[in-house]
Amino acid sequence: MTRQTAGIRIEDVHLSFGPTKVLEGIDMEIRPGEFFAFLGPSGSGKSTLLRAIAGFGPRPRGRILIGERDVLDLPPWKRDVGMVFQSYALWPHMNVRANVAFGLEERRLPRREIGPKVQAALELVGLAELADRMPSQLSGGQQQRVALARTIAVEPRVLLLDEPLSNLDAALRVQMRRELLALQRKLQLTTIFVTHDQEEANTTSDRMAVLDGGVIQQIGTPQELYDRPANGFVAGFLGTANILKGRIENGAFRTASGHLLHIGAPVAGAQRIVLRPQNISLTDAEEGADIIPGTVRHREFLGSQIRYLVETADGTIIVDTLHATGGTPREPGSAVGLRVDSTNAPLLV
Amino acid sequence: MRHLPLTSAIALIAASAASADTVTVVTSFPQDLTDPFKAAFEEAHPEHELEVVNRNTNASVAFLQETRDSNTTDLFWASAPDAFEVLKSEGLLAKVDIASEGIPDEIGSYPINDPDGFYYGFAASGYGIMYNTRYVEANDLPIPAEWDDLMGAEYNGHVAMSAPSRSGTTHLTVETLLQGDGWEDGWAKWKWIAGNMNTVTERSFGVPDAVNSGSAGYGIVIDFFGLSSKASDFPVELVYPSVTAIVPANIAVIENAPNPEAAKTFVEFVLSPEGQQVLLNPAIMRLPVNQAAYENAPEGFPHPFDENFAPGAIEFDVNKSGTRYNLVNSLFDVLITYRLDELREAVAAVQQAEAAHADSGNAEAQALIEEARDLVEALPITEEESLDPAFAEAFQISRADPTTEVVGRQAEIEQEWDSFAVENYRRATELANEAAAM
Amino acid sequence: MSAIGTDAGKRSFTPFPRLSGAAVAGILIAIILMAFLILPVAQVIYVAFLDARTGTLTLQNFEDFFRSTLFRQSFYNSFYVSAMSVVVATVIALPLAYITTRFNFAGAALIQSLGFIPLIMPPFVGAVAMSLLFGRNGSVNLLLDQYLGFKIPFMEGLNGVILVQSIHYFPFILINLSAALRNIDRSMEESAQNLGASGLRLFRRIVFPLAMPGYLAGAALVFIKVFDDLGTPLLLNVNTMLAPQAYLRITGVGINDPMGYVISFILVAFSVFSLWASLLFMRGKDYATTQKGGGGLAKRDLSTREKVLAYGVILFILALVLSPHLGLTLLAFGTIWSFSPLPDGFTLQHFETVFTQSTQYIYNTILYAGTAALLDVILGTAIAYIVIRTGLPGRRWLDYMATAALAVPGVVLGIGYLRMFHGIQLPFGMGPMASWWGIIIVALMIRRLPYALRACMAALQQISLSLEEAAESLGAKRSSTIRRITVPLMTGGILAGFVTSFATAAVELSATIMLVSRSSEAPLAYGIYLYMQSAAGRGPGAALGILAVIIVGVGTYLSQRIIERDRRRRAAAPGAQQ
Repeated sequence: MTRQTAGIRIEDVHLSFGPTKVLEGIDMEIRPGEFFAFLGPSGSGKSTLLRAIAGFGPRPRGRILIGERDVLDLPPWKRDVGMVFQSYALWPHMNVRANVAFGLEERRLPRREIGPKVQAALELVGLAELADRMPSQLSGGQQQRVALARTIAVEPRVLLLDEPLSNLDAALRVQMRRELLALQRKLQLTTIFVTHDQEEANTTSDRMAVLDGGVIQQIGTPQELYDRPANGFVAGFLGTANILKGRIENGAFRTASGHLLHIGAPVAGAQRIVLRPQNISLTDAEEGADIIPGTVRHREFLGSQIRYLVETADGTIIVDTLHATGGTPREPGSAVGLRVDSTNAPLLV
Repeated sequence: MRHLPLTSAIALIAASAASADTVTVVTSFPQDLTDPFKAAFEEAHPEHELEVVNRNTNASVAFLQETRDSNTTDLFWASAPDAFEVLKSEGLLAKVDIASEGIPDEIGSYPINDPDGFYYGFAASGYGIMYNTRYVEANDLPIPAEWDDLMGAEYNGHVAMSAPSRSGTTHLTVETLLQGDGWEDGWAKWKWIAGNMNTVTERSFGVPDAVNSGSAGYGIVIDFFGLSSKASDFPVELVYPSVTAIVPANIAVIENAPNPEAAKTFVEFVLSPEGQQVLLNPAIMRLPVNQAAYENAPEGFPHPFDENFAPGAIEFDVNKSGTRYNLVNSLFDVLITYRLDELREAVAAVQQAEAAHADSGNAEAQALIEEARDLVEALPITEEESLDPAFAEAFQISRADPTTEVVGRQAEIEQEWDSFAVENYRRATELANEAAAM
Repeated sequence: MSAIGTDAGKRSFTPFPRLSGAAVAGILIAIILMAFLILPVAQVIYVAFLDARTGTLTLQNFEDFFRSTLFRQSFYNSFYVSAMSVVVATVIALPLAYITTRFNFAGAALIQSLGFIPLIMPPFVGAVAMSLLFGRNGSVNLLLDQYLGFKIPFMEGLNGVILVQSIHYFPFILINLSAALRNIDRSMEESAQNLGASGLRLFRRIVFPLAMPGYLAGAALVFIKVFDDLGTPLLLNVNTMLAPQAYLRITGVGINDPMGYVISFILVAFSVFSLWASLLFMRGKDYATTQKGGGGLAKRDLSTREKVLAYGVILFILALVLSPHLGLTLLAFGTIWSFSPLPDGFTLQHFETVFTQSTQYIYNTILYAGTAALLDVILGTAIAYIVIRTGLPGRRWLDYMATAALAVPGVVLGIGYLRMFHGIQLPFGMGPMASWWGIIIVALMIRRLPYALRACMAALQQISLSLEEAAESLGAKRSSTIRRITVPLMTGGILAGFVTSFATAAVELSATIMLVSRSSEAPLAYGIYLYMQSAAGRGPGAALGILAVIIVGVGTYLSQRIIERDRRRRAAAPGAQQ
């Protein structure tokens, strides 16, 4: 696994299916060796973008460079990108070894080189002893590893993963994503990971792009995006967010119902504030600085936390409180005060 | 996979090179006839090989017409003289001189060979009634001797025949009766016989097949069908009615034949005493035209040159037959084949009415029955019309004289006849039922 | 496509789904279909528009057609017989399909194979055998008459045609309906049961509507085949139907009646219309309901009582549909069979005759039908690939053209070939193209292409696109992907197409009878036809028929096993599903 990995530059990519715009003005740069995620709800264009990089689907306008080369006019087999499909796409008529050897054979490698490379790829994913099995005899996790081994065996310059974990059960998913990350670090392979699951994106990627409606909403590290969402969509898509309307007044944020919240650096013209549930606590006081009064409407027990839905003059606000064993939760219907720690709360225009 | 056409092409060249001196004959005769001839011919003339292509007469003619521009056929070998007439008139046959001995000019009143030398008769065929003995016994039925017998009510539902438009030999049987009994009476006879039919088959072999298997009791057939079925041990017998036409089955060399010399050799072989002997093979059972061949004939084998054979054989007018060939076929189809159900119903109704009033002496009923009979027998055209080229040529476009003014299109005329027949049969049924109810 | 570069390598391909290789293949296929299907048929049908006398263009002939009571009645009869054949064929096929797909039933594969057998007998041979068993004085009626004193007119007139045709063609419904039933997701049925539906209601409201597209595909095929079929009505002496009328008028001696061609045109037009109507009706109703992890319709165990009932029904149906084969067997081994329930005695003589005289028919049939079926699956795979996987303009027309072959009566194609190819001389002294034996293969190939095409289409549709994309992203070129991934995954479907084409081509007669120019080059069905033309030949003809059935039957059974194995292997691999 020695090939030089490459960066990817996407410049002003547009794509329409008839009148429907699927990708609009996509611009981004993915650095060599980076683990990059495309995150977005279904229909956001993330898979289409990934497939455009791999060379599938209709040709978009714009430029996609892998390394220094514009690949948009290259057929898929000349792009040198490895893709792992959501369904794994293992060929049911070939055994594991033949599946993994396929790409090497297509590259016209001498037979004596193929054997060891297949072996190495299978060892890398820990499946060396299953080489003679047919795909139908493998579990879901094993199939996913074969798909991975098949892709990295050809030493692509870029690895594309299309929702690779979505067909696995929850426990396996967590394990696989760690293995995936470990493998990526080991190979230093530029990787793009498409997912609709923010937790997957957060836990694996160096940076990610959030897409919605064919448009990039924001690019950055997971923490940047969480802490400083560029808009309401990003704020709401990454984690839970209470978005309150209001305006900046004397270096503080006055909510629509007139409550004053302290803020850090004011943003000119900001009209919304993003409050994460864990930055709000419940008190008995109903008046005071940074306090919004309300009534508990609903309560959910989440184990380490208790989530309250509190009705206030600024709308329903979600509050997470730590659950200490033996603590007494608030009952629905009781009047509470919400103490808001808004010092670092993001402000949106 | 791409190599396949190439390999087959190579195989083909090899195959075609091997068959340099092949005589190709298109025939309507069954393998039972052609195989013994092929064997005998190739033994007598080892330098030649006989290649047999089997098609029914009509398809053979169509094939020869469609392929005339680059003919691959040497010989045409079939029963129906009319098919040869068609081919001759279209210039598809070659005129050849054949050396043969012991073959008379005529059989019955029918010339054995084409007077112009385009085709030669090699075997004679008569027409007869074939019946299944088990069937007749089981249903306690009589054995017919003459065509007229088949008109009787006792035969209702037991007779089979093929359509003259489909079988050249059947056409001759139909035409023979029309000439022997006259146009009006001949058609009347055919209609009463047809009223007793359980089927009009589309292949001439369909008739012996039906009789052999017992799905019909009686069949109007060319003699060798009956003779060869009997020789194959089917429980069948053949009778020759006294009015019959003995006509030759023929062979002709095709114009522009690829291998004319070998073709001629085969014709001469077929006509030689040696070749004629083959006709007596139990599976063939056709009547040789070379009198010498009868010396070895089995006991009881019919001898058409014998004076006692078919004493009522008529003078067959070939010209008359030729002029209205397609017209008669079409008329038979429209009046009988396609309207068999209606005709059968009418005939059955008349037969029942007659049975009901056999001894009743009810004059009114008799009058109704007479009227019904007339309606069944009524014809849309007269014999004069049938022989009028202006009329007949509407049915033979391909052979029509372009200067003749024809009276209409075939489809138009057939539609008129059809309405005529359907209405008459319907009315006849009504009248007969009325009479029966009296 | 913006990639017009300077270097040749860059110009030679177009990116994304368009590919010049596919375009070349598409054009080649279009040329083949034009040369061997469209033009020959057009040449024949063209005559319908000519004044027979003057040779000028006219519509007079069509006016004559519709004015004729006989033709109107023939049209009605053809329609009636086709519709009734669909009904009877459904009654035969439905229980077989339902019981074998719905219940755990020993011998389901065998029943499915046996259900295919009727297709591989020339219909005219079936008619002969059926007449012997069910005819006016056939075995059944003789026995009925003797013991009960009445007869049943199974084979009289149109009844006979309907009976023979539905027994011959019901496998089309069986095959399609079984496939459709197998593809219904278990959850569909379970959710209906959960909501309170069961038994017949469940079948009527959920299972049958979901299987409808498959059923309709089969039913449309039966309808068209019966509408166009010539041999059966001719053999049963029913002539007031369209196909026999066309045949009788085209092949008469010295007649050049344009009506035959008018009828041919109407046959083709009506068949194309029926095909189109059924496609239109099915559009948007093709519920592909098998979902991930779903495994088709739930199979249920039968109680003993149900089992007895089910076996009873199946045995009765099999006895009925295999009766032509029973009749044929009796004929092949019997001595004389005349006006009696069974032959007088039994013998092996007929087989001896066949083996000494007629082995060339068997060899020829295997060569012709085998080559034709091979070409069919190659063309079928190529057309399926072009239609489903590429964006070539006009690609659907390849499908339409190939499928239109279904609507062309064999006689029309045969005459068209004679007209078009007889003037063409082949090199190396092979003579005119129309009398070359290769043309028989071409005719069989064209006539059976629709069967192979449908099978290939279905097979390709079931292959997830990602399996091919995976290969491409691993560096396999389009051609290499097709060779190593697509085609191997289509094996089952391709094999099914091959078998259907081969089996039905092996017994085809209507087009070949016009094209055989030497009996040494004739196929089996033609040999049987020849034998059946003489009294002494009925036994050997039947023996030859039995051999045909055995050869094709064994082939069918073996491939059915391979297809089953392939299906099981694929069903178990979740990655292979859509």
